[in-house]
Amino acid sequence: MPHVVTGNCRLCRFTDCVTVCPVACFHADGEQTFIDPEVCIDCGACIPACPVHAIYEVLDLPDDEQHWVAINAERSRALPVISDKQDPLPTAAARRAELGY
Amino acid sequence: MSAHVSETRIVKGACPQDCPDTCAFLYHVEDGKLVEVTGDPDHPMTRGGLCVKLKDFAEHHYNPNRLLYPMKRIGPKGSGQFQRISWDEALGEIKRRWTDIMAKYGAQAIMPHAYLGHQGTLNGLTAGDAFFNRLGASVAEKTYCESGSSTAWIMTVGPTGGLDLESLAHSKYIIVWAMNMLNTNLHAWPFILEAKKKGAKIVVIDPVRTRTAKQADWHIRIRPGTDGALALGMMNVIIAENLVDRDYVEKYTLGFPELKARAAEYPPERVADITGVPASDIRKLAREYATTQPSAIRQGVALERSRGGGQAIRAITCLPALVGAWRHVGGGTVEMPIWEFPFKFDKICRPDWIKPGTRVINELDLGAALTGEMKLDPPIMSLFVYNSNPVSQAPAQSKTVAGLKRDDLFTVVSELFITDTARYADLLLPATMQAEQYDLMVTWGHLYMMLNQPAIPAPGECVPNVELFRRLARTMGFDDAYWTATDDELLQEFYDWDSPQLKGITLDRLKEKGFMRLNVGAPNERAPHANGNFKTPSGKCEFKASAAENGNFVVPVWRSMYEAKQPGERVDPVPDYIPPFEAPHSNPELAKRFPLSMVSPKPHAFLNTQYANEPLQQRRQGEQIVLIHPRDAASRMIENGNYVRVFNERGSFEGRAELSEDVMPGLVLANVGFWPSLNRSGTSVNATSADKHSGLGQAGTYSDNLVDVARV
Repeated sequence: MPHVVTGNCRLCRFTDCVTVCPVACFHADGEQTFIDPEVCIDCGACIPACPVHAIYEVLDLPDDEQHWVAINAERSRALPVISDKQDPLPTAAARRAELGY
Repeated sequence: MSAHVSETRIVKGACPQDCPDTCAFLYHVEDGKLVEVTGDPDHPMTRGGLCVKLKDFAEHHYNPNRLLYPMKRIGPKGSGQFQRISWDEALGEIKRRWTDIMAKYGAQAIMPHAYLGHQGTLNGLTAGDAFFNRLGASVAEKTYCESGSSTAWIMTVGPTGGLDLESLAHSKYIIVWAMNMLNTNLHAWPFILEAKKKGAKIVVIDPVRTRTAKQADWHIRIRPGTDGALALGMMNVIIAENLVDRDYVEKYTLGFPELKARAAEYPPERVADITGVPASDIRKLAREYATTQPSAIRQGVALERSRGGGQAIRAITCLPALVGAWRHVGGGTVEMPIWEFPFKFDKICRPDWIKPGTRVINELDLGAALTGEMKLDPPIMSLFVYNSNPVSQAPAQSKTVAGLKRDDLFTVVSELFITDTARYADLLLPATMQAEQYDLMVTWGHLYMMLNQPAIPAPGECVPNVELFRRLARTMGFDDAYWTATDDELLQEFYDWDSPQLKGITLDRLKEKGFMRLNVGAPNERAPHANGNFKTPSGKCEFKASAAENGNFVVPVWRSMYEAKQPGERVDPVPDYIPPFEAPHSNPELAKRFPLSMVSPKPHAFLNTQYANEPLQQRRQGEQIVLIHPRDAASRMIENGNYVRVFNERGSFEGRAELSEDVMPGLVLANVGFWPSLNRSGTSVNATSADKHSGLGQAGTYSDNLVDVARV
C-alpha cells in the first residue's frame, strides 16, 4: 500500500517530506510533490513530516481522494526526483493558515 | 470542577525485531495508554522514521487476540482449544512433567527451540540458554539464519564489525550482494543515496529484480546459489589483469598463492556458464570494483541459503583485501557488525553449566528429531518453544507438524499469539511486547547501544522472557545467584563495560539518552583494517583459513556457547564454488521432475511471521503470491491472478500467480512469513524446502529448492 500526496500540497510545496524519505521516492513539479508507488516502501516517515497533512497511505485515503493514486503514479513517472528540501511556494504560509494547521 | 488535561509522556525505546536497523523508538503514552510509536529523529540511522512492519505498532499491543494468561490444552493437539490456568498451575505442570521425563529418559530428552522473535540481551536469542544448560537439556543449535555467514566471516576476517553501514556514504563503488535493502535494511539506504549523489556507482547482484535492484545503476541477475562462482570469477580477472593491491596482500593476508591457484580455475567463460552472468559483465564488474576506490560490498544473509552459500561468503569476504579496499574509509565489506559489541557471552549463556557429553541437535532438524527419523537416544520427550515459530519458519514443514502432533511430546510454547506452532502446545505462556519490557537491544546493522525502556505496564499476566526463565529456575529448584539478579545486575555482567568500545557509556546514561554509539571510530573516520589488524589467529585476512583445520563449525553464540560436538566435517580452507543441491545445472535428474528454482525471501509488511495476523498488515502485504516469469506461466497455462500450487516431493502450498519479468525464466519467488493456517492450502513455502544444511555453519538451504507450479 504505497503513500500518495494529495491536494493540500498545492499552493504549499513545503518539501519537508523529501528530507525524511529513506528511498528518495518523491518527484516534483512547480506545484506539488508526488510519490512514485514503485519505489515507496510504505515506511510512513513522510506523513508526520508534512506541515499540512497532505500525505496519506492509500489504505486511509478518503473515497473522494482516490484519484490521487493515479495522479501520483503518472506524475512521478514524468518528473525528476527531488531529494533536497526547497523553499515553500510564496503562497504556502497563507494556505497553511487557511487549512488550519 | 476540574478540567481533565491529557498528559502525553514520551519514553525512549528500541525495536525488538530481527532486523539490522534496530530503530530508536519514541513511545507516546497518553493517560497510561500507548497511543503511538515513532522513530527518534535524533538517531543517525532511524532519522525519525520506522518501517511498514512497525506501522500500527501501538495498536498491536492491544490486539484482542493476544495471549494474556497461561493456557492449558483441552482439545486434540493442533485444534487450538485452550483454557486459562494460573501461573502456579502452569509451572507446577512443567515441574511434574519434566521431573518425570528426567527420571525416565534423562534431561537431554528435553529440548528448547528458540530464535530471534525478540532481539534483546535479556529476552532475545540467548534468553533461555543459561536455564537449559543448567537443566541438562539437549543443546539446540540455532542456525535459522546468519550462522553460515558467521562461520564464513570468522574464518576470513575474524570477529570484526567490518565496514560501518554509515561509512557507505564515503564509498565510490557499492555492491549490494544478495540483499533487498529497501525491504530489509531501509535505514542504511540513505547512506548509499548520499554516495550516489557524490558520483558512486551502485551495483545490485540478485536473481530477482527487486525494489532495490530497480534503484541500482547496474542490476546483475545471477542464478540462485552461484554467487561463489561469480566472486571467484572476479578474483580470476583481478589477478590476471594485475589489479591486485600487492602491498596490502603481502602485508595483511595469508594464503594468496592458494587463492590465486583456486581463482585460476574460474575464468569468466566458465563462470558465465555457471551463473548466467555474461563473461563481459564479469570482467567489467571485476575491473570497476578493483579500480574504483573506496569500493564496498554490502552482503546479505541470503547468500548463505544454498549448499555453497558459506563458501560464497568466504570468497566475497576475501575480495576487499585483494584490492586494498580496506585501506579507505568507506572501503571493505559488511555483513553483520555485531562483533564490535563487547558481549560476555559466557556470562550470558553459562556454558560452564553444560554437562560434558551433552548432545547437540540442530533446530532446522526439528521435524526429523521429533518424528524419530533422526535416531535419538534418549528421544525428545519435551519441547520448549520461545521466540520462534517453527511450523512456519523451519524447513520440511510437514515433518515439523507431524512431530508436534505427537501425543507423547510435552510441548510448552511462550508466545504473543496462538500461532501455528502454539496450536500444538500443551501449555501456553504469555509474553510481554516491547513497550512493556526492559532490555538492551542487540543490533546487527549499526554500532549503537540501544536501550528499550518500558512505557506501559504488562497486561494480564504476561512476563518478559528474562522473568519467565527466573520462574522456571525457581520451579526446578535452581538456587544460583543468576536467578535472583535484577535486570540491571545481569546487564552489568553481560557486557564488558570497561572495554574501550564502551568508554563513557553506562546504563544510567543510556536511560537518559536512549542510545549511544560505540567508540569504534566515527563513520567518516573508521577504517578498521587500513593496516590489517584482522581478528584472526594470524592477524591477517585469511584467504586460506586456519579455522578450517578443525572442520565445519557453528560459531558458539548460535549454540548456547557450547564448544564441543561441532559438526566437524572437512571444509576446504580456500574458498570454492560448491553447486546447489537442487539446481538444473547441478541436479538435472531432479530438475526433470521439478524444473523451477524457488527463492523464498522475507515479506514486505510482516517481519517473518510477526504482524502476519494483523488485518491491516495483511492488506498491505496482500495474500501469498507466486511470482512467475510469463514464459514459465504460458507453458503451464497459468494466467495472471490464477491460483496455483507450488510443489515438489516434500510438500506443496498454494498462492496467487503474478506474472512478472522481475524473476528470470526458471525462477519463482514466494515470500516466507505467511501463517500456514491463513493460506489457502493450510501450508506455506517451507512445505517445499529441505532440512538440509549448507556446507558451512549448518545454515538452512531454503533457497536451494526445485519445485514445479500448476494451476489449481
